[in-house]
Amino acid sequence: MKQTRRSILIFMAPAVILMLSVFFYPAVRTTAMSFFGVPRVTTPMSDWTFKGLQNFIDLFNTPLFVTSLLNILKIWVFCGIATIILSLVFAVAFTTQLRFKKFFRAIVYLPNVIAAIAIGYMWLLYVYNSNFGLLHNLFAKLGWQSMAEFGWLSTDHVFLSMCIANVFGNVGYFMMMYIAGIEKIPVDYYEASRIEGANVFQQFRCITLPLIKGVFATSAVLWTTRTVGFFALSQVFKGVQTYTPMLFTYETLFGTEFTVDINAGTAAAAAVVMTVTVVIISSLINHCIKDEAYEL
Amino acid sequence: MKSKKTKARQPFSLKKELPLLPCYLLGLLWAFFTIFMLGWIIAASLSTTREIFTGSVLASGPHFENFTKALFQNQSLNNLINSTIYTVPSIILAILVSAPAAYCMSRFNFRFRGVIEKGIIMGLGIPAIMIIMPLFSIVSSLRLSGSHLTLIFLYTATAIPYTTFFLITFFRGISTTFEEAAAIDGCGPVKCFWSIMFPLAQPAIVTVTIFNFISRWNEYFMALIFANKKELRSLGVGLYQTIYSMMNSGDWAGMFASVVIVFIPTVVIYLFLSDKIVSGVTAGGVKG
Repeated sequence: MKQTRRSILIFMAPAVILMLSVFFYPAVRTTAMSFFGVPRVTTPMSDWTFKGLQNFIDLFNTPLFVTSLLNILKIWVFCGIATIILSLVFAVAFTTQLRFKKFFRAIVYLPNVIAAIAIGYMWLLYVYNSNFGLLHNLFAKLGWQSMAEFGWLSTDHVFLSMCIANVFGNVGYFMMMYIAGIEKIPVDYYEASRIEGANVFQQFRCITLPLIKGVFATSAVLWTTRTVGFFALSQVFKGVQTYTPMLFTYETLFGTEFTVDINAGTAAAAAVVMTVTVVIISSLINHCIKDEAYEL
Repeated sequence: MKSKKTKARQPFSLKKELPLLPCYLLGLLWAFFTIFMLGWIIAASLSTTREIFTGSVLASGPHFENFTKALFQNQSLNNLINSTIYTVPSIILAILVSAPAAYCMSRFNFRFRGVIEKGIIMGLGIPAIMIIMPLFSIVSSLRLSGSHLTLIFLYTATAIPYTTFFLITFFRGISTTFEEAAAIDGCGPVKCFWSIMFPLAQPAIVTVTIFNFISRWNEYFMALIFANKKELRSLGVGLYQTIYSMMNSGDWAGMFASVVIVFIPTVVIYLFLSDKIVSGVTAGGVKG
């Protein structure tokens, strides 16, 4: 018994120590920081001044932060709906008797192995380009002049453009989750329903959807954590329209080319707001979509 | 193999394929778009800026000087080496740390196991922004901000939750008979793990390492904060800087070459390992 206890210690110690030093301690310290006046990230703890909730009050009185919150909310809702519907459609299409299934799945998943920053530039520099861009050429060839002239990167449309690039990058991942869920459903269910005369849509509504409810919860939680970390694309598509809390926090910490308005306390408060939001939304999702124990 | 054989015997029948037409169209459309986009960007990276604007990419044959310029003048080679320095040690270390922990948590019942499990789940979801501020101040007070070690350490540590989570599922699926036999022969748990269980877990370890590689290679936020000096930049951070400066000079061919240098390594790996990657996406972490 004693030997086992020693082994457990040997097995667990490195992982636990690393997790404590990189997740636990920093998270606690960031939380503490959000209640203090901390001019710079590197300010030693002895120079912090207690401010209570003042950082949070300042934060919500900063128009740019409020804008960034609204932006991320829109990304979460609109891109989320688009991503989940598209990935579900792909998952259903690619679990049929289709030939070259493997190829299709692999190609839809492909953007997930490319760095978000590169995805962003591919769309920004090529697809949306108004001189030689893919969309410009496509619509020009089709003779749809108004769409060919569409200013994808103008201030009015850049948010939409960024959302499209974001959905493109994410669909594959969520598709794979739904495929895994759908492939767990026994084929008998579909066969039985076919004999009873159910069509494809009825099968989808009455068999597939209810049985992958649990996957919905998981994918919604994952979508939430991914969205909060939304950063590279908003940096690529620069602008107030595409500003997100991560970018706000980054710039509040380190300044920008234009301002040196640095305040680590406010940045910490922003980080806490983001983390708390993730935790609340995730637990709400898990409570609302209870996976009623379908034993498969 | 078996499924391939049965598929080959199935004759093409229009009656069976016709209802699937929408699925084919959807897949083909998406595939065509993705391949065309990547293909055009690669073509543009081998053309001149003039050709890109006149819509005649590759008209004068491939121009490799875009790449030599990006690699040597614009630091891409240096960034490529940096990305490798960050990624390779950290994915190896992450396995060496996570595999024993995952094994231990799947086999033994001990105090704090529940707490550690909760910690791992929380580690999976915590936004990077929540942890980087104290880390930044520690790193700068230790005067480590000019060193590659910082990101190697951070990439190792932040890979632990996912890696452990992935491997726990795998170890739970391995029967305990091997260890029982080893224990009868007087082999202690630690030795038994490294000589029997660790080699047995190889398929899962390979899969999770591929995922760790891709995510670390593509990591942007922490690299921007901890490696934003000319000689430390990773590929992604370097790309941002390069495009930023090339926008002013209007070197579009150079920009596309820089983008290609960033995505080619992972895309090539994906070409060879897509089977393993695609089947591994949901194998560990995500419960269906």
